[in-house]
Amino acid sequence: MHRRLLPALVATLTIVAVAACTTKKEPSTTNQNPIVVGSTLSLTGSLAATGLIHKIAGEQFLERLNARGGLLGRQVQWKVLDDQSDQAKVGQLYEQLISQDKVDLIMGPYATPNILSAMAVAERHNFVMPQHTAVLAPQLTYDCQFPAWSIGTTPNRFVPNLLLDAVATLPRPPKRIAVLTSQSGSAAFVTDGLGDDKTGMITIAKERGLEVVVDAHYAPNPSSWGSIAAQVRDAKPDLLISNSLGVDTVNALTAMKQLGYRPPLTFSLFPAPGPLLGLGADGVGVLSVSIFEPNKALIDKAGADAQAIVDEFKTKATAASVQFPVFETQAAASWNAWEILVAGVKGAGRIDQKAICDSLHSRGADTTFSGHLAFDVNMNNFWPTNLGLKQIQNGQWVMVWPASRAAAPIQGPASP
Amino acid sequence: MIAVQAALTGALIGGLYALMAAGLSVTWGVLRVINLAHFGLILAGAYLTYELVTGWGLDPILTVVVTAPVLFGVGACLQWAYERMNMVEFNSLLVSFGLLMVTIQLATNTWTADFRRLAATENPYATSSLELGRLILPTTTLLAFVIAAVFIGGGHLLLRHTFLGRGMRAFAQDRTVAAAFGIDHRRLGLLVGGAAGASAAVAGMIFTLTNSLTPAVAYEWFGIVFAVVILGGVGNLLGTLVAGVGVGLLSGLVSVIWSPSTEPFVLFLAIILALLWRPHGLFHRRGVA
Amino acid sequence: MTIRKGLSYLAAVTALLAVLAHFHSSVGIAPYSIVLTTTVLFWIAQATSWNLLSGYAGYFSFGQGAYVGVGAYSMAVLTGRHDVGFLWSIPIGGLLGGVLALAVGAVAFRLGSLRGEIFALLTLAVPFLLATFARINMDIDGGQGTVIALPAYPQWVGDAQHMLFYLSLAVAALAVAVALAVHGSRYGHGLAAVHDAEDAAEVLGVPTFRYKMVAIVLGGVLGGMGGAVFAMQIGFVAVESVFGLTIPLFVIVISVLGGRRHWLGPVIGAVLVVVLQDRLSAGGLESLENIVMGALLVGLVIVAPDGLYGRLRARPWLALGAFAVVLIGMSLTGYWAELDALLYAMFAAAIVATLADRFLAQPTPKSPDATFSPTRVAADRSGRTPQPAARAAGAADAGATEVAQLPLLHAAEALPGLAEAAPQAGEARAAEAVVGLGEAAPQAGEARAAEAVVGLGEAAARGRALVSCVGVTRDFGGVRALDGVSLQVFPAEIVGLVGPNGSGKTTLVNLLCGALQPTRGTVAIGGRPIGGLAPHRVAHTGVARTYQIPRPFESMTVRDNVAMAVMFGRTGASLSQARSKAQQHLATVHLGHLADVRPGSLNLHQRQLLEMARAIAAEPVVLLLDEALAGLNPAEIDDAVAVIRRIHATGISIVVVEHLLRVLNQLSTRIVVLDRGAVIADGDPAQVLSDPAVVRAYLGRQRA
Repeated sequence: MHRRLLPALVATLTIVAVAACTTKKEPSTTNQNPIVVGSTLSLTGSLAATGLIHKIAGEQFLERLNARGGLLGRQVQWKVLDDQSDQAKVGQLYEQLISQDKVDLIMGPYATPNILSAMAVAERHNFVMPQHTAVLAPQLTYDCQFPAWSIGTTPNRFVPNLLLDAVATLPRPPKRIAVLTSQSGSAAFVTDGLGDDKTGMITIAKERGLEVVVDAHYAPNPSSWGSIAAQVRDAKPDLLISNSLGVDTVNALTAMKQLGYRPPLTFSLFPAPGPLLGLGADGVGVLSVSIFEPNKALIDKAGADAQAIVDEFKTKATAASVQFPVFETQAAASWNAWEILVAGVKGAGRIDQKAICDSLHSRGADTTFSGHLAFDVNMNNFWPTNLGLKQIQNGQWVMVWPASRAAAPIQGPASP
Repeated sequence: MIAVQAALTGALIGGLYALMAAGLSVTWGVLRVINLAHFGLILAGAYLTYELVTGWGLDPILTVVVTAPVLFGVGACLQWAYERMNMVEFNSLLVSFGLLMVTIQLATNTWTADFRRLAATENPYATSSLELGRLILPTTTLLAFVIAAVFIGGGHLLLRHTFLGRGMRAFAQDRTVAAAFGIDHRRLGLLVGGAAGASAAVAGMIFTLTNSLTPAVAYEWFGIVFAVVILGGVGNLLGTLVAGVGVGLLSGLVSVIWSPSTEPFVLFLAIILALLWRPHGLFHRRGVA
Repeated sequence: MTIRKGLSYLAAVTALLAVLAHFHSSVGIAPYSIVLTTTVLFWIAQATSWNLLSGYAGYFSFGQGAYVGVGAYSMAVLTGRHDVGFLWSIPIGGLLGGVLALAVGAVAFRLGSLRGEIFALLTLAVPFLLATFARINMDIDGGQGTVIALPAYPQWVGDAQHMLFYLSLAVAALAVAVALAVHGSRYGHGLAAVHDAEDAAEVLGVPTFRYKMVAIVLGGVLGGMGGAVFAMQIGFVAVESVFGLTIPLFVIVISVLGGRRHWLGPVIGAVLVVVLQDRLSAGGLESLENIVMGALLVGLVIVAPDGLYGRLRARPWLALGAFAVVLIGMSLTGYWAELDALLYAMFAAAIVATLADRFLAQPTPKSPDATFSPTRVAADRSGRTPQPAARAAGAADAGATEVAQLPLLHAAEALPGLAEAAPQAGEARAAEAVVGLGEAAPQAGEARAAEAVVGLGEAAARGRALVSCVGVTRDFGGVRALDGVSLQVFPAEIVGLVGPNGSGKTTLVNLLCGALQPTRGTVAIGGRPIGGLAPHRVAHTGVARTYQIPRPFESMTVRDNVAMAVMFGRTGASLSQARSKAQQHLATVHLGHLADVRPGSLNLHQRQLLEMARAIAAEPVVLLLDEALAGLNPAEIDDAVAVIRRIHATGISIVVVEHLLRVLNQLSTRIVVLDRGAVIADGDPAQVLSDPAVVRAYLGRQRA
């Protein structure tokens, strides 16, 4: 036993001793040093397609910020680690960023599960964390997380009403709806609610007197879409609501097409924008949610800078071979998040998490694409949403709802 | 009617599962190599197809002219390496798991994790279909089934009726004895490994016809492909085809009659039950101990 | 007592880590060390819990994520929805993990013939099932994921991170303590025997089913507890993060890297893998992580399939020296981060230890209590021997099923011929014996007639049969291997069991030792029916057997192989007692001089003698020898026959299954001939061998 344990014991002690002898260089606080912002993004793995958009948008933002003199007179550096779309890694990497790399500020990662994992770490260390896209508002309970894409505190009510209000204005409003739901975080939330709040797409549609002819849930990445497609085809809905992520809607529509069927009108909750456009004629008229699309009307409204930002993003994203190099919802959310962080630091006048958090609560933040944002702790900091609907028209996504912010009117199905 | 349609579509897509499983099943059964890297080969076949179609403008089905020989070579090399290292059964499972991890990561680094999908213009098969009255057979699934049936049926006949095939089966029973009868197991192994690689190329091509590609999808094949391998009986090609169709049919029916969300549940329950009652596959005849 | 000593060391290390963490700011430990160590501790707990079944007993599992997931979801649902305290949720998570493991084990191990790969695939399906269950069950989370609030912690803990650290430390220490205690105990030896040769372990008296169940449940409980703490650490539990392949993948890499046959293996592996992962991501090389992990797995299985622990243990001081030199050297330069230095130092130690054998002389012989084998692939569960003759002989009796229908296998049917043709196989005389049977038997018969009568008379006089089969039938699917066999074995007999290939000899042996159950009929040992008894219970009634193809416990020394049989035999004994008894049994078979080597370096004859030594160590009343002479040369056969006589002289009745009729003729007091599953002759050797039906059965079938 001695022989075996001794080396182990000695090794353990050595490790500990080495760790103990560590004298960390405290980062000097002279103003010459850059401010370091740490975050992870899903640069590989299943979420990487969108993760990359956030990376390009963030880098573009910082380039512009630094060109204008940086923040508090210091340059800003961004240390971004790859969480490989693995929620379990996110927490550890944020720990590493905060405790080991001692970053000055943090930015949230991409996608709801990752954001929730990062939030747990941020809360442990009392770091302010702006985040782009978390949807599960009721679960985002940390006072110093600041959403950059507000879908309201109750997306499970807001999104169904938004959609059903919009389609009700069509000449022939849909009466029969089919709802497909991916059993993953945010998508299932919009269909079924969360916990004790069972309100969602299904209940609201029924309240409004619509007939739900298909209500099918599926595990993410189903092996075959054939049976789901057959079900929808035979139910003949007026509106297909696909509460899903990524390419699910594309797969569903393709499978239906193979069965010689195309739903008159389709809504897709959180799609990867590129592949739906790739459907060509079969994608025309598909609806989705958006906070910003680079339509002329919206760009003009966003101010002088907006066009330049949108164009520059397109150049950078094309160079990085992003499949869909367009500055839309995701990039706009990213931009908002960085503007929130900058506004907080400017408001506080120093790098102090508490002061930044307080400043954001009291003063809010001004953003290029979503205007002035005010954060209310009682609403988990979710500001009044500016979420609208976009639709594929003439080969591009066009903001169509609400009418006040629309670039074009919403279009119903072509006459049969 | 929906049930019939769903069952039919499912059964046809089962051809793809069978094709994916065939290579794994044969290397396991004949060479005693549980080659998880086979999933990596399918992935490679899929991405090569995508690359050839988008880059060179080839017809998706014609790409197998290029991909099948390439992956035949890769499969044979892999088998050569396993043989050299004397990797069988459990060690091969571990080693090939490592290789699969490397392959998926390399694919991610090369093609990113973006979903890749053949555009409608490049893929004439994606949305066409054959109508039989009220029933509709989508071209891609029909193709999947026909190609799988031809490939697997051919393989089966080859195994059953040629000297080579008998050699392989003797080899599967006992290597040493087979070697004593002049069966060159090395060359045989290379051939089987290569054929498995070529089947992976075809499976990858069919997958690309119908689906979006992302590297992590290889892990998602695990469940269904192993279900088919085990239900069909390890090393039993015809059994693999029947099991593939059966699994597809079952998924289609469950998803329509019950709910798509219960589909994995039923599927994995089926695997577990099958493992318990027929650990050697549904079509195995028991012999004397 | 080594276990107690080990546990006290463990307690000391645990306490030290806790104290250092508590006073981290005063001793100058960077807060990040606490975070990193927490991660290390999580993986130590998981890999250790996985290792109990998958390492010690060799049943590889891809399902560790299932236990982690059950634990994590227990934490999420209990604290989030039912207001259960964090500290209570951890043991509940462990309990549920244990219940799941119980279910998996009860289902998987019911099937006696479940092969290792099939078990692995079965466990692969379990997390998928649970994931689906969580998704369709809105009371769990319906797939949406659940946030876990920051745990409340007492004042003295300091902060949330320390709370997590202490909890992880407690779970990891518990896991390692369990693994350590199991490793050194009788139970651990039983698991090692299951790993090496499960069938042999069972017939020697190891209750393999129960042992595997205990291992899987212990693993489930520890995995579940670790999962519950993990949930607090990640703060948000979702299906994808716990039921995915990441957890099993890491656990496997860690255990294979560190070594699966010792409790320290997973600990070493976890430290190395976590630090490596941390360094890769700190260096901006996350995208290489999976490539490095995958390559590591491939490289290790090829270079050091038994893991680093074995190599480090063989050369502890060399490894430690390399570790210290690199660590101190790199630290002194001041250029490297301390974790880089640590990583490279660990790599240096690992590489030096792994490659040392290639360049230096063999290290001193290992002490006998070690249970790893650097020379053999530990995962080879099949127990196949490398000797071609033995393989051929095995194949001959394997009763080729489907293959037998092939034209090619006209040749395969002649497989016994092949074995006989091999000169070193020494079986050539089997054919001779058969050929000569016609002439030789009549004379021998006369010469022995009187003797035989005496023998039979004695048998009758002895009265009660030790072994009694009545009307035993055994079917395999549609094939009837045994058909109404009745057979008795009396005290002090040596019964020769002969018959052509496929006549059901091995099936009969398997029925007598309880490995198979009869389709009809009864088998009784010492008057007690053994129907429904597990083989290890049958072993305790006094039956021991050997295998045609020896199945030694490859990871143990020859002495420990025999000691296992004493420990788990009818009387039972502690390991130290068993070892001294084992020495006596080895002397009986003339293997005493090889007590300290491993079976891997024995030749076939010695392996078969080892089989016999192991069998008699169980102190049986009846010994079943299944072709114990197959593949031996004439000198070895004579030697083996002498050993069998010596064993017989100690008062053990013996049933010998053998092809060599000449040998049986000399050795047995009675011969039973089986043909196509039925007894066609039973009686005095000479008479039986001259029986025309017997001659026909042999000559009609065999092309001699």
